Amino acid sequence: MSEQILAVPDAIARADMGDGSVELFVDESLYPLEAVYGASFTFLDRCFVFLDRPQPGRLRVILSAKKLGASPEVLREMVGEFANELLACAWREKITERNRATIEAVTMQAIGGAMGPPSLDDLEDFDFTEEPFEDPLGIAMSWEEKYGKKTAPPAATEGDEE
Amino acid sequence: MRELRFPKELYLGEQVDAALNVFARFGRLERDEDELTWIVRVHAASAAKERRLAGELANYALGATIRARGER
Amino acid sequence: MSAGVDFAALGLEGLRVDHAAPFRMRRVAEGATVLTALDGRFAILDDDELRAFARGEVEEGSPLFEKLAGANLLADSFDVPAAAEMLRARRSFVGAGPNLHVFVVTLRCNTSCVYCHASRANMDAVHTDMTPEVAEKCVDFALSTTNPSVTIEFQGGEPLVAFDVMKHVIEYALERNANLGKELEFTLVSNLSLMDEEKLAYLIDRRVQICTSIDGPADVHDQMRKLPKAYGESGHALTLEWTRRINERYREMGLDETLYHVEALVTTTRALLPRWKELVDTYVDLGCRALFLRPLDPFGFADKTGDRIDYPREEYLEYYRRAVDYVIELNREGVEILERYAAIFLTKILRGEDPNFLDIRQPAGAGIGQLAYNYDGQIFTCDEGRMLHEMGDDSFRLGDVHTSSYRDVVGHPTVRAVVIAGQLAGLPDCNDCAYQLYCGVPPVHSHKTQGSIFGRMRESTLCQVHKGIQDYLFAKLAEGDAETRAILERWTTIRPREHFLHGA
Ligand code: SF4
Ligand code: SF4
Repeated sequence: MSEQILAVPDAIARADMGDGSVELFVDESLYPLEAVYGASFTFLDRCFVFLDRPQPGRLRVILSAKKLGASPEVLREMVGEFANELLACAWREKITERNRATIEAVTMQAIGGAMGPPSLDDLEDFDFTEEPFEDPLGIAMSWEEKYGKKTAPPAATEGDEE
Repeated sequence: MRELRFPKELYLGEQVDAALNVFARFGRLERDEDELTWIVRVHAASAAKERRLAGELANYALGATIRARGER
Repeated sequence: MSAGVDFAALGLEGLRVDHAAPFRMRRVAEGATVLTALDGRFAILDDDELRAFARGEVEEGSPLFEKLAGANLLADSFDVPAAAEMLRARRSFVGAGPNLHVFVVTLRCNTSCVYCHASRANMDAVHTDMTPEVAEKCVDFALSTTNPSVTIEFQGGEPLVAFDVMKHVIEYALERNANLGKELEFTLVSNLSLMDEEKLAYLIDRRVQICTSIDGPADVHDQMRKLPKAYGESGHALTLEWTRRINERYREMGLDETLYHVEALVTTTRALLPRWKELVDTYVDLGCRALFLRPLDPFGFADKTGDRIDYPREEYLEYYRRAVDYVIELNREGVEILERYAAIFLTKILRGEDPNFLDIRQPAGAGIGQLAYNYDGQIFTCDEGRMLHEMGDDSFRLGDVHTSSYRDVVGHPTVRAVVIAGQLAGLPDCNDCAYQLYCGVPPVHSHKTQGSIFGRMRESTLCQVHKGIQDYLFAKLAEGDAETRAILERWTTIRPREHFLHGA
C-alpha cells in the first residue's frame, strides 16, 4: 500500500509503511546505472536493497528497513540520503572522467612508490595471466570498471586538473 | 512464501546462485527463471523470517553482482 | 550564489572570464573574497577589486594587476612551468611509501575514556598483548617499506602496560636497522599514568618521542578520561606531572625546549566547548608550544557515547575561533604557542608546502603513508581502519605479518581504492572548492560516517570543520594586520627534531 509520507510525487518515490519500504524511480537518461549500483552498494549495510527495471530507461530501487515498524521519518531519511548518494555518485563519475589523468597519475605514483620494484622472488611468483582487479569493498567500482585495467596513462602533469 | 524476481540485465546469474548457496541453510529456497528474470521463492517459518531471509539474500546477490562487475 | 559570493548583490552580472586563468573562489568575510589559482596560490580581493576583476577591468601595472598576476590568476601571464613546479611541491610526499607504522602493542589500558578511539580492553586481557614473535615480524614488515624514513608509533590501549613488548620492538628494530640504515624514529602515545623513572630513563636513552592527551582543565579531563583511584587521585594531575618532568629532562640534556617537549593533544568534547580559555591556559602553563584542537572522531566508543559528548560542528567552530583568537593574542604578548590545525593549513596556504600530516593531505596516508599493526599481527591501512576492525568492520584490513608480503599489502586493491577516493579532485564539492589544494579527507572517515569512502562533503562533519577553519584563517589574513600575519607565518616553520632520529 502506497502512502503519502514523502513530499515528492508518486512517480519519483513512494512509501509502503506496512512493509517498511520505499520505492524510488530513477530516470536512466539522467543517472547512469553505475551511479545506481554505487549508491545501492553504500546502503547494503543499512537496509535491504532491490533493483528492477519496470520499463526501459526507468530503474526502480526498493529500500526496505531491516527491522519492521520503521517510522515515516526513518523512511523519509532513507529516500533523502539515497537520493543524495545517487547524485554524488553520478556527479563523481563525471568529475572523475574529467580529472582522470591526474587521478590516475597520482594513484600510480603513490602505489608504485610504496610498492617499490618487484624482487626476484616476487617475479617468480607472479601470475602473468591477466589479473582481475579485486575490489573487496566494491568502492572503487565505478572508477575501476572503466579505468582499472588500462595500462599506464600518458604522462600527465598535475596542472591539468581543471 | 516470498518471491524475488531479479532482472537478468541487473543481476548476474552466478551471483544469485552464490547467494542461494549462502542462505540455503536458513530456509527453503526454490530457484527458477524465465526469459528476463532469475526467480527465487523463499519459504521460512514465518512471514517475518521470510522477509528477512529474502532481504539478506537480495542484498548478497546485489553486492556480489556489483563487486563482480567491478572486477571485469 | 557561489561559495558564498552573491553575484547580484555585488553587481557582478555580465561576468567576463577570458582574462582570468582558472580559479576557485570563496567569500571569507564581509568585503573579502579569496580566489585560489590552480597551483594553490591565492589573492584576497575586496569588493571593488572583485568587481573590477569580474568585469575584466584590470589595468596592466595596477596594484590589482600585480596582485592577480602574482597569484597566477591571469590568463595572459599564466605561468605553466611555475604552476607545475608548485603542484609537484605540494605533492612531494606522493610515491615515498609508508613512513608511519603504528604498533598496537596491547589493547589493555588502565584508563576508561568515554570517547576511547582505540576500543580499549581491561587490564586482565593479557591475550591482547603483542607477543615478541609478532613484534619482530611487525618490525621486519615496517622496515621493508620503500620509505627511507620509518617512524614506529606505539599505540594501544596504553603502551606502557606492555612496556616489555615496546622495549623488545625498539631493541629489535635498532638491531635490524643497523644494516638497513633507515632514518628511524620512535614515538610513544601514552596517558603517562603508568610512567616511572626507570621507564622514563629508558625512553630518554632510546630517544623515544612522547605524546599525551590533555583535555583541558582537571574536571573536564578527569570526567572524560577516567582513571581508577588505584592509580592515583587524578589522571590529569599525573599526566601534567609527568609532562613537566619529561620536559625538565629535555632541558637538563641541553635540548632546545621550543623543539623538544611532550606533544599533547586535545580531544574536544562538549564539556570543553565553553572552557576554551582555561584549555589554552592549561597548555601555556605547562610550557607546551603547540595545541591541537581536534574535534571528536567517530571511531571507537565515541560512536556509542556520542549523544552525551558530541556537538554540532558550528559550536565546535565557534570554540575553535575563540581559542585561536586567544592564542594569537598570547603570541602578541610574547608567548610562543601555535594551534596545530592552523599550522597545517597555513603551511600549505602560505608556503606552498605540505607538512605531510597524513589525515589532511591528498591522497591521505592510508596504506601509502602509514600502516597499522594490530597486536595479533593483522595489518590495516591506518589506525582508524584498525579501530573499525575492533568495531566489527574489516573493510580496511590488508593482510597480516604472518602470511602477507609487503608488496601484497601496499598493492592491495583496498589501498588503491582509498588512494583514489582520497583525491579531492575527484569529488563533487571539493572539485570546485577554493580550499581543494590545502585540504584532505581520510576515506576511512567518510566510510564510517557516510557509508562510502568517497563521502558526500555537503553532509560531512569533517568537511565542515576543515572549511570552517580555513574560512577563519583566510578571514584573519584578509584583516591585513601585519603582526597577525607574522604570527601565522611563524607557525608554518618546520624544523626537524634531529635528536630523535636513529641511523640518520
Ligand atoms: S583513549 Fe587511550 S587512554 Fe583512553 S581508554 Fe582508550 S586506550 Fe586508554
Ligand atoms: S573537504 Fe570540504 S573544505 Fe575540503 S576541499 Fe572538500 S569541500 Fe572544500
